[in-house]
Parts: sequence; structure tokens; C-alpha cells
Amino acid sequence: MNTATTSRDRRGVPDAARVEAAVKIYGSSDTAVTALDGVSVGFPAGRFTAIMGPSGSGKSTLMHCAAGLDTLTSGAAYIGDTELGSLDDRRLTLLRRDRVGFVFQAFNLVPTLTVAENITLPMDLAGRRFDQDGLEWTDALIDVVGLRDRLHHRPAELSGGQQQRVAVARAFAGRPDVVFADEPTGNLDSRSGQEVLGLLGRAVREMGRTVVMVTHDPVAAAHADEVVFLADGRLVDRMAAPTADKVLDRLKAFDTRSATMPEGAPS
Amino acid sequence: MSATGPRSAGPAGGGAAALHISLASLRGHKRRFAGTFLAVLLGVAFLAGTLVMGDTLRASFDTMFGNATRGTDAVVRGANTITTPGESQGVRQNVDTSLVDRIEKVPGVAAAVPSVQGAGQLIGKDGDPIGGQGPPTLAGNWITDPELNAYRLAEGRAPARSGEVVVNRGAAESGDLKIGDTTTLRTPDPVKVTVVGLATFGGEDGMAQTTFTGMTQADAEKYLMPKPGEAATVQVRAGPGTGQQELVDALTPVLPKGVEAVTGQEAADENSEMISGQFLTLFTTFLLVFSGIALLVATFSIHNTFAIVVAQRTRENALLRALGASRRQVTASTLTEASVVAVVASAAGLAGGIGIAAGLQALFPAIGFPFPEGDLVISGTSMLLPLAVGIAVCVASALLPAVRAGRTAPLAALRETAVDQSGASRTRAVAGTALALAAVALTLVGVLASPSIWLAGGGAVLALAAFVVLGPVASSRAVRILGGPLDKLRGVTGSLARRNALRSPKRTAATASALMIGVAVVSLFTVFGASLKATMDQTVSRSFAGDVAVSTPSFGAGGSGLSPRLAPAVAERPEVATAVGLGRGVAEVDGEGRALTVTDPTALAKSFDLGKVEGSMSGLGDDGIAITRKEADKQHLKVGDKAELAFTDGKKNTFTVRALYGQSELAGDYVITRDAWAPHRGQDSDTLVSVTFKDGVGAAEGKAAVSEVAKAYGDPEVQTRDEYAQSAAGGIDMMLTLVYALLALAVLIALLGIANTLTLAVHERTRELGLLRAVGQTRGQLRAMVRWESVLVAAFGTAGGLVLGGFLGWVLVKASDGASDSAFAFALPPTQLAVVALVGLAAGALAGLRPARRAARLDVLRAIAAE
Repeated sequence: MNTATTSRDRRGVPDAARVEAAVKIYGSSDTAVTALDGVSVGFPAGRFTAIMGPSGSGKSTLMHCAAGLDTLTSGAAYIGDTELGSLDDRRLTLLRRDRVGFVFQAFNLVPTLTVAENITLPMDLAGRRFDQDGLEWTDALIDVVGLRDRLHHRPAELSGGQQQRVAVARAFAGRPDVVFADEPTGNLDSRSGQEVLGLLGRAVREMGRTVVMVTHDPVAAAHADEVVFLADGRLVDRMAAPTADKVLDRLKAFDTRSATMPEGAPS
Repeated sequence: MSATGPRSAGPAGGGAAALHISLASLRGHKRRFAGTFLAVLLGVAFLAGTLVMGDTLRASFDTMFGNATRGTDAVVRGANTITTPGESQGVRQNVDTSLVDRIEKVPGVAAAVPSVQGAGQLIGKDGDPIGGQGPPTLAGNWITDPELNAYRLAEGRAPARSGEVVVNRGAAESGDLKIGDTTTLRTPDPVKVTVVGLATFGGEDGMAQTTFTGMTQADAEKYLMPKPGEAATVQVRAGPGTGQQELVDALTPVLPKGVEAVTGQEAADENSEMISGQFLTLFTTFLLVFSGIALLVATFSIHNTFAIVVAQRTRENALLRALGASRRQVTASTLTEASVVAVVASAAGLAGGIGIAAGLQALFPAIGFPFPEGDLVISGTSMLLPLAVGIAVCVASALLPAVRAGRTAPLAALRETAVDQSGASRTRAVAGTALALAAVALTLVGVLASPSIWLAGGGAVLALAAFVVLGPVASSRAVRILGGPLDKLRGVTGSLARRNALRSPKRTAATASALMIGVAVVSLFTVFGASLKATMDQTVSRSFAGDVAVSTPSFGAGGSGLSPRLAPAVAERPEVATAVGLGRGVAEVDGEGRALTVTDPTALAKSFDLGKVEGSMSGLGDDGIAITRKEADKQHLKVGDKAELAFTDGKKNTFTVRALYGQSELAGDYVITRDAWAPHRGQDSDTLVSVTFKDGVGAAEGKAAVSEVAKAYGDPEVQTRDEYAQSAAGGIDMMLTLVYALLALAVLIALLGIANTLTLAVHERTRELGLLRAVGQTRGQLRAMVRWESVLVAAFGTAGGLVLGGFLGWVLVKASDGASDSAFAFALPPTQLAVVALVGLAAGALAGLRPARRAARLDVLRAIAAE
């Protein structure tokens, strides 16, 4: 198994985020559950990486730890060259605000804020003033997600798909080092899901952003440049240029395996 | 209930299910009801504490008076009393001490002694008068028959020679006087006295904080009576076998006209009634009003808590309904929950109330107020009433939310948890506006058109109701305005706080209403107090034309008054142009008790602005009287008319109205000369001496001269006009401090309400908070957001309270102005009101502390994953 310890992947592209020998154990002694069992993986900048795996494989935990939402029991997580374990809650929060973007499965938007305000929320929290460049970037984003006519609406007035598009715009608005998406299409119908995935793909290919997406849907994973597979808290495989069929086949292999193996950690 | 057995459809089974559900839900959400629990507990504790303390004090005073006067079987005293408006105790004529001989000869009489009673204020070791200007400072003869003396000698001996006195132990302690010390007694003329004994009253160090000085019979008659040979009463002890009533029956035939005999029991009851009946009733009523306010505030907090909890539980209730629970069962389960909280909190409140009473019993002696010892009197009423009120308040507050819970549609289980975000309904706006208009109309009529406290009071109550009804209508707009600066000040944090406060106008309004009522009452008292001060200031500046004033409270209400000889002595100083003393007398005019101003009317006219004078203030003589125009009009009197005055000695004299004057504020409504009053007088004293300097005499120089003279007359304080005006208002500040202290409870309950609402809101917004933290809101920003929301809600409540309180204060002042003779000034004290506003905001920030800390402690991941 490849245990990359450099911050560059095989093609020499620097990693926007990576974890090294990541171990995450929930609970203690008798009830301890190992969610991550020594995972080392890098997410190259300018690439769209999908994390896949069966329920309980640790894919969500990996994302949470890589994104600074959760802390590792041992090992190290980096955003760029910043080691997250050395940061206190405040620094970690500021790092998420300034260098990381998020798209969650649901409940992505603050209901009291308008669409426009939700998009600029991280910058507003930072009290950052918009320079000309920033304004143009956000403006372009709004057009890309196609919500110009909804800017002053409240989230409750939008459809689920529209809400996720706002979340995507919010995630990229601050031009973060990396955007983490946790089952971003899990609550959407397939058409809206395609739209959101398309947006994530365009952001990487046309705007050079970095996306790491957790999903259990092979069709969604097919939008990525590369898929990493997790099982029982371990990195078991990587697949470049995935298609839905290839991913599905790979997953079926897990299913036969997991039939003989007990269920692991929570996802 | 067995899950496998057949379910009973009967009401008993349903009730049991409701109980089961509500108990389970209570166990699950203890924290949610912490605020409700505390609000009920505090309100009930205050109420029960007041009742228990009142009963205990009343019982103690009864015992104390009973003990003190047990040996007195009959009291012989003047039969006529004249009570002037605003006084609790009538004035009686003295009796002749020669009656004692006659009484002693009556069969069945074992002993009879004259009792001289007057006012005398001791000067403490530090030179300050003991007892200040508070409770009565009494002086009398030391009665040597111990059975007839209410005081017992505890140390030392009885006075034997002129100048020797016995002092009650409490007074001696507060003045740091010991046996053998020499000091001054103001009667009001200063008398040099030596303490030879210390006394107790009914086993205590004194009768509450009243001071008592016992002198020899001769001294007492000399200094306290208008002329020797008089006493206030004669105390009589019966021989063996003679009952009190028998004794009175035997005494009555030998007494002259105008003198009566009453049983010792009756006299003791009257005394006891004076303290426990009037003072204690007033005191407990006062406290009850404040516990009422606290409970009213609690009502809002409790209602709000249940409303929120029911809203948050929509899904759960819908599920119950979908599974077959009837509306009644869902309503009943919420009400049961409220009842359990109510009963437990009220019971805890009762314990707290008893604790408060016990604490006060221990605290009072520590602050120098002898709280009679003895067990706490815990009556059925003082337990059942607070219990009932606590339960009623809690259950009634939960009633509407409970009914709403019952109405939950089963389908609601399928929808997102609904938080009531509906704005104010049209009906509410219309009803509220109608109420407000009615309130204003009623008030204006009550204040301006036909002055009536009742109309104005009704208007005030309607205004309160209108504010509460209009709260949700106003809250959105108000929060938007009040929170406007927050966006600029605190950026997105402030903006989020403001929008959170705007989320549920009804909830924000209900939360703020509690604080609003508290702040309204605080500002009402602030405004009224300031108005009273302004009124006094205005009175002094309008009527008082002198340069300095020497004043003490009138006879009986503490202090000892001023010597009538002070004014003439001051007048002799070369710096002084005029010095006039004002004494007080009472007489019945036209069948009603009236206060008379006894003075030199010529000098009065020079030192006071009496307004337009018709006739002449000089030359009233001993059969002339001057009356204010207002009083004269009431009785249809003109200059030259005759008026009959009845005095306490039973004499009726006809006076000629020689002058009418316009302003009564300091001079009083009726003025007679000292000569005219002399035959009817009691212990002579002045309440105010006004001094005017000669031209060219400086204020400091003149004041020094007057002080020098005053030194020989017991050294009363000499005040400039401003000082005089301020000291007249001094009592108001003390009163206000007490009121503020009592209102702190209501404000505390309101703050608990805000904190509780916020805690529930934080719980409701868990996922949103998680999201905010995930995308980069720091803990500090999150805390600030919750705190600012709290401040905004408090600001809305405070602003509403200030407006409402200001309006109610205006109503009260204007209604008092219209209903009484004296002119009331209305004043809005900007500094104090600004302080009230700041305290309201600071309190809001304080209320937000705990919910903010709890919100900041949320684990980001778990918050995101929360359902």
C-alpha cells in the first residue's frame, strides 16, 4: 500500500490537504471503536478527489479530521503546510474560515441570512473587506451557480437544489485552499444532484480549485479525478479517472468482503 | 402500563398515559424547566416569607404589649380626640394629676399613678440625636409602681433627683450611653440629664426602635406638660378580686366631664393595633404588592417557556396524536407537566419563604431593629395561599401552550420541526391599538377633565395591557431600530444577533414583556420620586422666603421638635431681621380635625410667600384666624365671618376670620397666634423656624450666627434654603432604595426568563450554530452573538418599560395633583432613567452569559449531525 509521506503526489503536484498515519479512536477501553486505522493520503491541489467506502469505513471521519472539524487520536493532518494538531480551537476556527470551504449534506445555510449574505458569511465573519478582485470573483461565482435573481431571498424560499448551489458558492467564495463536500447530493433528486456535481467539477477544472468529496454514490464519484477507497478505517485503493461502473464494481468487491467481516466504526 | 395487556380506553387509562408521558418528558428535559422552577420558587418564597414574617411580628407585638401593660387594669384619659387628616393617632387633652387622689379613694383601686407622656430626644455620646428622624422618641415620668410601668428597670436605679433619668437599653446602646453618663434631652428645650438606670420593654431592649426616657414626676411635668399638675393619663391597678370592667365601672362616676376610663386591655389593644394594625398592615401590604409584581413577571416567563417547549415538541406531540392520543390527552400531559413543576417549585418556595422569615428574624437585631424573639408563626393561610398562588400562576401560564399542544395535527410529525415564526396577527394589532386608545382616553379624562385616581388608574392598567398585547407587533420594528447600530458595531455577529431576535416576534415580545413590567415599575417609582422631590423643591422655592431654616419633624413622628423659644432668641441676633417659628396645633373646624399653624402671623407674612393676602395678617389677636382662600371657599367664609373651633380640651371658641391668603404649602391652611393657642396647648414645640438676615449679612456669617444660638437649644441643624429643600426630599431616596431592592426580585425573574428563552433557542438552533462554527465563527463570535441577542431583547423590554413607566408616572403625578390640594410637579429625571436603561441593558448581557457559554461549548460535529 502506498504510504505517501511527501506533500507532493506522484505527479509532483503539491497536496492541498493530507493526513499521515491518521488514527481516530472513539470512546475508550471496552467500547473503543477505531474509525481510522493509520490512514495516509494526500489530496492534490487543483484536483477533485472523492472518498468512498461502505458505511462505517471511516470516510466521513477522514474528511472531518482532514478539514479541522475533528482531531486525530494520533498521526497528523495538514492543510497546505499547516499541521492541524498544533492549533487550538481558535486557530483551527480561523483556518477553517480562511482556508477551507464546506458543503454539507443538508442544513448548509443560516436561515436568517439572505443568499448573498450566506455566500459571503466566512469573509464577513473574518471582517474582511472585499477588494476589487474579490468582488469580481464572488460576482462570477454567483453567475456560475445561476442564482443572481435569488440573491436577496432567504434559504427557506429556495428549493433543496438551489440551497446546495448557494452552499457551493459559499464554499468557494473565499477562494480557500480546499473545499470539503460531505455527501453534497445526498438529499437531492438526481437532476439537482447532477447540477451540484457539475458545479464542483467546473470549479476544479475551470477555476483551478481543490475539492475533496465524501460520497457513497458511484455516479457522484465518477465526477472526480480520482477516487480513494476506505474500508474498516484503512485506505484500501485509489482509482484514477473513475467511471460509475468501475466504481460500482470496486464497491461490490467490498460488499463480498464485508459480508465476512463485522461492521466497523461509524461513518 | 403493560405493553402487552389490552389498553384501556377509559379516562383513567388515558390520564395515566398522560401522566406517564409528562413525567418521562420532565425527566428528560429538566434543564428546560429550571427557569420556570426558579421563577415560581422565588415568587412563592417572597410571598410566603412576607406572610410568615407579618404573622410573627404581629404575634410578637401583641405579646410584647400584653406583657408590658399586664399590671394596668384601667387607664383614665381625656375623652376627646381630634385626628387631623393623614395622622394615625388622635390628639387627646391631658388630665389633672389631682384626679389621682380622687381615684385612689374609689373602692377596688389598689394604686393609681399619673403617667406623663411626651416627646424627648436624647443626644448620644457622639453629639448626634438618638433615633434620628425615624421612630418616635418618647419621654415621660418613671412610674415607680413596677406593675403600672410598661418598662422594667434592668440595670441601675430609678430617677430620684431632678435631672436623673432611666433610658431604654436599646436607645442607650445606640447612643453609646452608660449609667453615670451625662447628656442632653431635647424636650425640645435642652435639659441636662444623667443616666441612672437602663430599662426594658416587655422583655425587649425597647418597643421596636422607639426610644424612651423616664424622668422624675416633677421633671416630667415641668418639661413635658404645658403646666405642672397635668399628666397624659392616670394608670390604675385594681385590688384583688376586682375585674378590669368592674374597675372602669367604679371609676366612671367620679371622673369629671371630658375624662374617661377604659380597661387596661382596651388600652393595650389600641397600642398594639397602632403598631401591628397600621404599621404592619402597611408594611406587609407593601411587600405583598411587590411579590404580586414578581409573580406577574413570572407569569410571562413561564408562559414563554411552555410555549417554546410545546413548539419544539411539535413532532413528538404529532407522533402521539398519530398513534392515537386524543387532543385531551396531549393537552393533559402538558398541563400535568406544568402541575408537577408548579407543585414542586411552590413547595420549595414555601420552604424558602420560611427560610426568608427566619433569616430576617436573625438579621433584624443585627441591624439594630429588635425583632421580638419567639417562634415563627406559620399559619395555614400563610402556607396555603402562596402554595395556591404558585400553582395557579404556573398552571394558568401553561394553559394556552397546553391547548396549542393538543391542537397539533398528526401530520405535523412529517414536517420539519416548526418554530412559531409567525408575526403578529391583524387582530392583535387592532385589539392592541383599540386598548391603547382606550387607555389614553381614560387616562386623559381621569387626569385632565375630571380628575379621579380611579379613572386614571383604570387607564394605567389598560395601558399595561395594551403594551403586552402590542408587544409582538412592536417587537420587530423595535428590534430592527434598536439593533440597527449593531451591524456597524459588530459586523456580521451583530447582524446575526439582531436577526435571531427578530425570528419569532411573539417569543421576543413575551420574553421582553417580563422585563418590561419590571422596568416599568422601577421607572414609575423613579419618576414619581423625582416628581415628589421637584414638588418639594418648588414648594420651598415658592413659599419659603427666609435665608435659613431650622427644622425637625413634627412632634411624635420622631425627633422632638424645636423649642418655641428658639425663634425669639435668634431674632435678637444683630445679623437677623426676622425669625419666625411655626408650631402645630389641632382643632375641629366644621366637625373635622384640622392642623393649625401656631405662630406670629405678622412675622410669618414676612418670611413666607403667602400669595395674595386679603385682610391683614397682623392683629389676629387671640380670637382671630387666617385661612387659605381654598379652605375658606369650601366653607363659604369671608373676611369678617365667624368660625367655631373645637379643641381637645372640649372647649369651643369662636374666631373671627381676619385674613385670607393664597399659598398654603408651608404655612398650612389655618393660622392662629400663640396667644390664641396657649390655653389649649400640649407639649410646646415648633417644627420650623425661618430666619431672614438683615441686608448686607453674608450667608455664611448669618448661618453661623443662627447655629450659635441654636446650640443652646439642643443644637438642631441649620440649613440654607437649598439644604432645606433637599433634606425635605431625603426620605424619598430612602424609600426609593427600598423599592428598588424589592423590585430586584421581579427583574431577576425577568432575567431568568430571558436566559431560559435563549437557552431553549440555542438548543433549537444547534445545527445552525454547528454550521456557523464549521464555516469559521469563533467561539468568541458565537458567544457575542448570543449575548447581543440577549441585550437586544432586554433593550426592547427596557425601552418599553421606560416608556410605560414614564407614562404611568405622569398619570400618577397628574392624578395626585388633581385629587389633592397641593400642587404636584412632574419631573423626568434623565440621569436616573439613563441608569435604569443601562442597568436593563447590562442585565440583558448578564442574562445572555450562560446561554452563550453553553452555545459556545457545543461540539461542532455533533451540532452539525444533530436532528
